[in-house]
Formats: sequence, structure tokens, C-alpha cells
Amino acid sequence: MPTPHDKQRQPEGAPPATAPRSHGRTARTAILALAGGGVLFVIGMAAFETGLLGDGGDDTNRRETAAKQSDAAFQPPALGAIPDDENGAAIRRGMAIFLNTKTNAGDFVGNDLACVNCHLDAGRKPGSAPMWAAWVVYPKYRSKNGKINTMEDRLKGCFTYSMNGQGSPSGGPPPVGSDVYRDLEIYFRWLATGAPTGEKMKGAGYPKLKKTDIGYDPARGAKVFEQNCASCHGADGQGQRDINGRIVFPPLWGSGSYNWGAGMARVNTAAAFIKENMPLGQENRLTDQQAWDVAAFIDSHERPRDPRQTGSVEATAKAHHGGESYYGKTLNGRLLGTGTSGS
Amino acid sequence: MTRQARDNRAPEETFEPYEEHRGIPLPVLWIAIALALWGVVMLFQSHSAADSGITRRASQLSTQTGQTADAGAALFVANCSTCHQPEGTGISAAIPPLAGSPFTAARPEVVTQILLHGINGPIRVGDRDFNGHMPSFASVLSNEEIARIGNYVRKRFGGQPPELTPQLVARERERFADRGPWAGGAEIAGTVDASLAPQPPTVPARIVPTDAATRHLVNDGRGDAWACASCHGAQGQGNEDVPRLAGLPAAYIAKQLGDFSSGRRDNDSMRVVARALSKREMAALGRYYERLSVPSTARPSLGGDLARGEKLALEGDWENKVPACFSCHGPSGFGVAPTFPSLSAQHPSYTARQLADWAGGVRSNSPVQMMEKISGRLSAEDRRAIADYLATLPPVPARKPTPEEASNANTAR
Repeated sequence: MPTPHDKQRQPEGAPPATAPRSHGRTARTAILALAGGGVLFVIGMAAFETGLLGDGGDDTNRRETAAKQSDAAFQPPALGAIPDDENGAAIRRGMAIFLNTKTNAGDFVGNDLACVNCHLDAGRKPGSAPMWAAWVVYPKYRSKNGKINTMEDRLKGCFTYSMNGQGSPSGGPPPVGSDVYRDLEIYFRWLATGAPTGEKMKGAGYPKLKKTDIGYDPARGAKVFEQNCASCHGADGQGQRDINGRIVFPPLWGSGSYNWGAGMARVNTAAAFIKENMPLGQENRLTDQQAWDVAAFIDSHERPRDPRQTGSVEATAKAHHGGESYYGKTLNGRLLGTGTSGS
Repeated sequence: MTRQARDNRAPEETFEPYEEHRGIPLPVLWIAIALALWGVVMLFQSHSAADSGITRRASQLSTQTGQTADAGAALFVANCSTCHQPEGTGISAAIPPLAGSPFTAARPEVVTQILLHGINGPIRVGDRDFNGHMPSFASVLSNEEIARIGNYVRKRFGGQPPELTPQLVARERERFADRGPWAGGAEIAGTVDASLAPQPPTVPARIVPTDAATRHLVNDGRGDAWACASCHGAQGQGNEDVPRLAGLPAAYIAKQLGDFSSGRRDNDSMRVVARALSKREMAALGRYYERLSVPSTARPSLGGDLARGEKLALEGDWENKVPACFSCHGPSGFGVAPTFPSLSAQHPSYTARQLADWAGGVRSNSPVQMMEKISGRLSAEDRRAIADYLATLPPVPARKPTPEEASNANTAR
């Protein structure tokens, strides 16, 4: 870009320009420099803000993920936005039960799990059976017990199976009308603020995983487990605790885990959960095949007995375990479903 | 024209070469000015981010508890509630409750001493026994702050009037200036307030003396294996870019040394040092540092948004597929042995550098690529926010050796 400045260059050897002319030139240069600098700065700033520059592309990545998610899933209110009234107090109690179930509803919990272990991000994460999506479709018919279930009925099922109520101090789930249900329900209702009632929402449940051609195999799953799961859940699947004995990673089988009646004890449910949510923050790291195999490996271990079992394992298997489960099957010469001691 | 004419002239003898004044080319000025403006904006942004972060965190915390008037409430939520829970319920079989605890209703010195020194041993609250590992807050909270938290906790959970003052806390600080954590409820009952008895018997401290060879390596070094203490500090407290080692899991330290040696983790100094160590020495150094407990010397220094850092640590940012830091590193950032290092009281420059290294592919030795993937989704601001937040937390209490470890170490000598 030719500038007037170049054209007006003084012939060399000429006497220095007179003072006023020099001032004028300096001023012009200053104005041009400032204007040009300003323009450059604005361009640079714009490039940085739109993510063309800086952070090695991280920002573009983040933005893409955010954009993808925002047109897909419902946004529950932020945790900091719980109101400061009686409703809010109950919502906080419900959240506390959800996060630390054994501490806040300990009479009805017979294992080492908490709701949040399978419903990640305090029951908010799409694809991990978020509570905002569950709230808007209850009451509804469930084939599991063949009747219309209210949200309280559904929660009773959670405490009976996933939280292994039979091993709890009270010996079962919270009684009808318990405050545990009220507090959890108002927490769910609050999470579903603004959600459309009665609609199957995007991100509800665990996204179903298609069966693979070669089926699933616990032996292959053992390898997947060792490479992808053991550093958190332990080589023995019993989870890990921190220095105070607080559970950080939940146990996946054995007496501290969900019982044979839980949804997660079906291979297809576990595979869907794993594929979509595990390892934390790396959903879809595992192939479909790996997810099926590792779910089968987890399901091929003993866990607390099915509370519906009154007679033999065989009879219970026939009545309740038609689906994908190792309950009632014999693996390596051992019948699965007899339950862990103390349950 | 004039230039040519002059060049063709015969050189004069008296001619002195000189350079004429030439203006700085405009594009150079443009760039200089643009950069200067950029610098000013950056300075302003990081400054205001730090400020707004701090105020936002304070206001957020006070509205969360609904007790805006009480300055202690915000401090309670920030410092106590991840373990003792917002309602003071504790965690069953792990963290003692505050609500209804005799310790919150006892003399004001009790809460003060527990906050100052922490607890490392059995304690009975109500009818339940806990094996407590509470950190010392002496290095992260001022006397004023401890007085406020103490008054808040004693009023809310013990129904006591506000008896703590900064002066009382200062006196209590002096009273047992150099002691470590309380060895359990029994020692507190015996020393501070007898009304707290009976308490479960304190297991006699299992002193596992470190062998002389390891002490020598730490303090004096050997050849290429420079003294660890020369950079990481006499107590493993670290400094800015040099990580704090005190309280990290033994197996984690040994693994990192192995990775430095094999090149899986890259650092010029540590490669030299690690290559001079045997596997056995690496394990011994891990055990040595795991048991050290030293006050925090870390302070937020990167201008990170502390409120954002706290959110990422406790809740994560699931929209960007970032799980909470503490979902793996433990609910207080104390780590989960053997794989997950403690994060609390780590130096922010070090933490931020590691996150950047993982994001940029410089460091790649975490299990299942967890840190590589997660760091890659954090912006530079988020990395600074996390690093600064972690520096505000109290240091991890030292892990006690298990009985087997103690007997192994004793027979090994």
C-alpha cells in the first residue's frame, strides 16, 4: 500500500524540513499508525474470539460439542438455582439423598451404591437415564410388575433392587408415603422445570445398543475390563474408597452392589449404560462389541439375591429373568443367582 | 535522482559516512500498537476475571445457604460441606456428622483445635465410631476465618453462642504450634475438653522409620540422582513449578519415576534423576513421601476464576464432557490410592502446566487416556481456574501405614 509518507520523502542531503512541516508529518504518521494498529488489533481480537486462533483448536472443539449437545438435549436448571423457600429445602434434601443415598436414606439401603452412580451428574446427564426425562412420563404402565406405576412405585423398585433394600436396616424399601419419596420426587420435578409433560424426551434412559453378530462373551469382556475399567473400579470390581473410607468408585458386583433384580443386572441395560457413559468423559470409547462383552463379564459375577425369589433360582429365572441375564445360568460349573452372603 | 547524482561524484576526502534519519515503517508501528492494545486488554481481563471470580463465588455461596447475613455460612460451604455435607449430616461410615455432635457443643477451644490441626485417628460421635482423617486448615485459613467458621458451626449444629475471636484462635495456634494432627477423639478429650470422653482408644502411632538409604537419597542425593529435597523442599512441599509430593500415593510416585526413566513422561531433569534410581528406590521414595504431611504453601497465583474452578472440581462441565475432578480424585481432592494423586494444596503453576501438557500431547501417561481427553476439553481459562481453586484447599492428611506395611517395613530393616 503506497502511503503519502513515501512520496513526500525529503531529498537526501536537503536541509531539514521546517519545524511546522515536520510536526504535521509526525502527527500524520501517528494518526496512521494508531488507526492501522487499531484495525489490526480489532481483526486479531475478532479472530481470537471466533476461535480461529489460540488454544490449539480446543475452543472450536468445545464449541462444537456444546452446539451439538444444545440442540439435542433438555437443559435442567443449574444446581446453584435451587430456590430459597420450603420447596428449595425439600429439593436440597432430595438431592442429598440422590448423591449420598446411604447417608440420607440409610434405613433403606442395603449396599454401597448411591442413585448418582448410574444417573450421572446428579441425575442430569442425557443418556444416563436423567431424572428430568423420567419425571415427565410417570405414572405409566411397566411390564416389570404389570401395573400402572406412579413415580413413588418406580422409586420403590429402585430401593428394592438397585439399592438392595432387603439388606438394609429396615429390611426393605421406604414405606408408602415416606418423606424419602417426597424429597426425591420434588427434586426430579425441579430438574424437569420447563420440560414437556408426557413426551419421550431426547436423552431419556440409556440409548439402546444394537446386538452384534457374534454375541457377547464374558471371557472377552474380562480383557476389556482389565484394560478400561480396572483402574477405577479395581481389578476385583469392588470399587475404591478414599482415605476416609468414602466410596469414590462403586462396586460392580458382590454384596456391595445392586441385586439380581435390578435393571442393571441385565446385560443389555448394562451394555447400553457402559457404551454411553463409561469411562467417565469418554463415552463411546468402547466399541459396541466391547460394551456388550464387558457388560456380560460384569453380569457373570455373583451379587445379592433377587428379592422376588421365593423358591428355587430356576423357578425365579423362569418367572422374572427371560431377558439378557446370567441369572440362573451355570458358568464354569457354578450356578449364578444364589446370592452373596449377607443379602 | 539526487541519490544517483551523489553516488557518481568522486568521493570527497572529507566525506564522513552518515546515516539519515528514516521513519519507522508504518506496518511495524501498526503491529507494535496492536500488540500494546492486546497486552492492555489481557492484563485487564485476567485482573477482572480474578476479581469477579472471587466475588461471584462468595455471593453464590451465601445465596446457596440462604444465610447471606452470616459470613461464616459461606466459609462453611466452601471449606467443610464437601465432606460434612451442607446440612452437617456427614457421610455414613466415613465422615462424622456435625449436627448434634458433642464436639460442636463443647468448649470453643475444641472446634478451634480441630480446625487448626485436623484429626488422624479414631473418634466417637454419638454412638458411632469413625476413623477420621481431617486435614489441618492452619495453612489455608486466617484466624479471623477460623473464628467465623467455628462460630457458625457451633451455633448451627451445637446451639452455642459465638465465643470464638481471632485472638482466641491466635492463642490456640500458639498453644500447640508445632504439633501434627490430633491422634483421635481420645487425645482431644484428654487435652482440650474432658467432657468429650469416652472416646475410642487411640491406636498407638505406628512409627515406620524410613531407612537411612532413602533419607540419604532425599536429603543428599547420589550422583545423578540429585537430592529430592533440593527442588521439592525439605518436607516435600514443592514450589511453583515443582510439585508438592507430600501425601501423594506411594504407587503413584513410583509409577511417575518409572515413566520419567522410560521416557513415557518427559522432563529433562527428572529423566536424569529417575535413570539413576533402582525400582526398589523408586518404591521406597514413594512410601517416604506418602507419609509426609506438611502445611500448604500453595496459593492461587494464575488469576483463575475460583468459582469456575470450584464448579469444575465438584460438578464438572458435562456439556463439554468434562466430569468433576473429584469424581475420580476423591470427594475432597485427597486422591484415591494407588492410581489417582491428591490434588489439594498442589501448586497452581504445576497443575496448570500438567493440564496443558496433557491437552497438548506432551504428557500422555494417564490410565485409559483419562487426563489427555479431559484436559483437551478445557480452555486455558478453565485450566487456570482449576489450578487456582485446588491451591485454596487444605493439604491431604498423611495416610497411615497399614499394619502389614508397618510390619513389612520393620522386618525389612
